[in-house]
Amino acid sequence: METGKFIQQLGKHKGTSNSSALRSNVGCISVTREASPAFFTALKEDYAFDHCSLISAVDNQSGFELVYHFSIIGESGQMLEVHVDLPRDTPTIDSITHLWGGADWHEREAYDLMGIYFIGHPDLKRVLLPDGFAGHPLRKDYVYEIHEEEW
Amino acid sequence: MAEMWIHMGPQHPMTHGLWNLRIKVDGETITDAVPELGYLHRSVEKIGERRKYFMNTTLTDRLCYASAMTWTHCYCLTVEELMGVETPQRAKYIRTIVLELQRIASHLMWLGAYLPDLGLITGFLYGMRDREMFLNLLEIPSGGRLLYNYVKIGGVKRDLPPGFAAKAERVMQTLEKRLKEYEDLYDNSKIFRMRTDDVGCYSASDAINWGITGPNLRSAGVAFDLRQADSYDAYPELDFTPVTTSASDGISDCFSRYRQRIDEMYQSMDLIRQALAKMPEGKVMADSVPVRASGEAFRRTEDSRGEALMYLVGDGTDRPYRWKIRSPMFTTVSASPHFLKGYKVADVPAIMGSIDMCIGETDK
Repeated sequence: METGKFIQQLGKHKGTSNSSALRSNVGCISVTREASPAFFTALKEDYAFDHCSLISAVDNQSGFELVYHFSIIGESGQMLEVHVDLPRDTPTIDSITHLWGGADWHEREAYDLMGIYFIGHPDLKRVLLPDGFAGHPLRKDYVYEIHEEEW
Repeated sequence: MAEMWIHMGPQHPMTHGLWNLRIKVDGETITDAVPELGYLHRSVEKIGERRKYFMNTTLTDRLCYASAMTWTHCYCLTVEELMGVETPQRAKYIRTIVLELQRIASHLMWLGAYLPDLGLITGFLYGMRDREMFLNLLEIPSGGRLLYNYVKIGGVKRDLPPGFAAKAERVMQTLEKRLKEYEDLYDNSKIFRMRTDDVGCYSASDAINWGITGPNLRSAGVAFDLRQADSYDAYPELDFTPVTTSASDGISDCFSRYRQRIDEMYQSMDLIRQALAKMPEGKVMADSVPVRASGEAFRRTEDSRGEALMYLVGDGTDRPYRWKIRSPMFTTVSASPHFLKGYKVADVPAIMGSIDMCIGETDK
């Protein structure tokens, strides 16, 4: 499917906004947290995005933002960037590991370094930092000095 | 028989770097596996937030000690996308050449590391000897042998000197001759085939779902190469198709992963020859490169080990607000329990060696 066309179609899904094309084969869209499970299922089942490239968590200070990069393993090399905003006091979202097995450790990393909780993840624990580490260091309000003596 | 957990690592000849693999065994058969990472975590993303954009190329070089050039290149490509910098045509060609040289050096290092895993110590010496020639080549323009800091935002540090093409050609001819020798030596070696045939199998559809990319995916017969699918630098102007291998229809095993990397070295040499022949004259650095950036951008490249992706958010200052790195090995290792289960303990080095681990990029 042409990039412009599928972005237009994606824009009709519930809870989406700001759909645009970043490059010739890359689209970008925002989706609300509530609508995200249905939207991600549709991406996998109906639009054949079979590869979850990356999940990045961004600390916007007012809240968190998750940026998903999905791609199609095929000649077109199409990609989609999905933005999901999360409130600061409850940074939780439904896990997508049941759809893309490759999302497993990306979600663990987002939990480890940014403190995002993925509901339904099979084994949500730290992956890069040791168990028992206090805090989530990639958050902007993380103060290193507090934890200096522990580690 | 009672099941038990065995730690392979963090200090183990199999690990190639510092990581730990816990395997659950029933007799000799692996029933479960848990990879544990983090021993080499340097928090590159956090350090990068405190340093200016151009300073971070020092960090990206250190992401993978076997493939420094490709990571710095991926970072520079992303920053150029963020800042809207256009790279001169000659610099694009030079980048393509050094990237492919780096890919060969990385694959040779893999060959040199993999064969001793299977008891063929001579393979280590052969691999390292040949890699040396490519390090010498990369040293000519960059001055470095392991960490180059050669690709810069907006181009490359300096031009290739006269006579580089002839030197590269001589090295490639030598490697071609030797690769043929290695193929005769390993492909027909009964011991090598017994250790690699039908070991560590996974199917193409599983590999895609688990997020396995690069040579490990193409060895299952999937013709997907980011140099073509999301092309960059001089690759759109070169003529090539992704090389693939597979053990049987859509299945990858240790031997097909070995074949894949050997074939990719041939392809890289072909690409270098094409690029050297087509390379135009001109500048190697953009006229002006901004210091500040705002907005967000991402680019992905075909790293020696798979899909490298960097995502950058700028807030209008001279430092990145958020810098996220996708390491291909991080995802591939996460899938390793799936293709370890059911094999024997002695197969672990053969399987984990065949996916070409690099802990530097995995742990970030």
